[in-house]
Amino acid sequence: MNPNDKSAPSTGDSLSMEFELPHAPEKVWRALTDAALLAEWLLPVFDFKLDPGAAFTFRTQAFPGWDGTVNCRMLEIEKHRKLSYTWSVPFLDTVVTFTLAPERGGAGTRLTIVQSGFKPDQKREFGGARYGWTMMGGKLADLLGRMP
Amino acid sequence: MVSIAEVQDRIFKALADPSRRAIFEALALRGGEAAVKDLTARFDISQPAVSQHLAALKDAGLVRGRREGRCAYYRLEPRGMKPLIDWIAHYRAFWTEHVDRLEQLLERMDT
Repeated sequence: MNPNDKSAPSTGDSLSMEFELPHAPEKVWRALTDAALLAEWLLPVFDFKLDPGAAFTFRTQAFPGWDGTVNCRMLEIEKHRKLSYTWSVPFLDTVVTFTLAPERGGAGTRLTIVQSGFKPDQKREFGGARYGWTMMGGKLADLLGRMP
Repeated sequence: MVSIAEVQDRIFKALADPSRRAIFEALALRGGEAAVKDLTARFDISQPAVSQHLAALKDAGLVRGRREGRCAYYRLEPRGMKPLIDWIAHYRAFWTEHVDRLEQLLERMDT
């Protein structure tokens, strides 16, 4: 566990984590919004653009039946303060929100990461080219939705 | 202890095969127990092949089976897909690990 993680316990369908970083928000913002820097600490990213509504993808480890693509869409951009985008993988559509708050007179940053929407997606028609994942009729999606 | 990632990997692998997915889906749609011979009748594959697929699904924790005389019956394991949708634990570890890397990167960046 990261010693800087001062997270409140996450409840229900969202995950919330807080980190104290000894770097200015402007610098942290760069690491969150520059494709080359994102690839260094998060995942390789493709078509990343700071435009609301822009679609982009992260690429993670592939599994048989899933090529490892994380589909994203940019939601909110508040320079140096807030960045939010959707994060979709098979069975799951979530939203990731990064919030940056200056600390110690702007020399540090409190970074909050909230990921919400941890429920199996029941609306999506599973399968199709989007994930190369060709299973799941509505019944099974319902079943997943009813699981604890 | 088996990690969440390993369990997810096992589930993804079990369901990567189209025949296994079809069998799994047939059991899901049925909602209850199905005899192996009835499942075989629905698919264009041999009974040993169906049994083999069911064994793989069972190894992944997705179905459970019982034997009665010469007949084997299978049903969905209701909690089988839970590891796959146990996202929160998975992502907590994911972000913690990656924020560690972010801190290292910030140290290397100027200003």
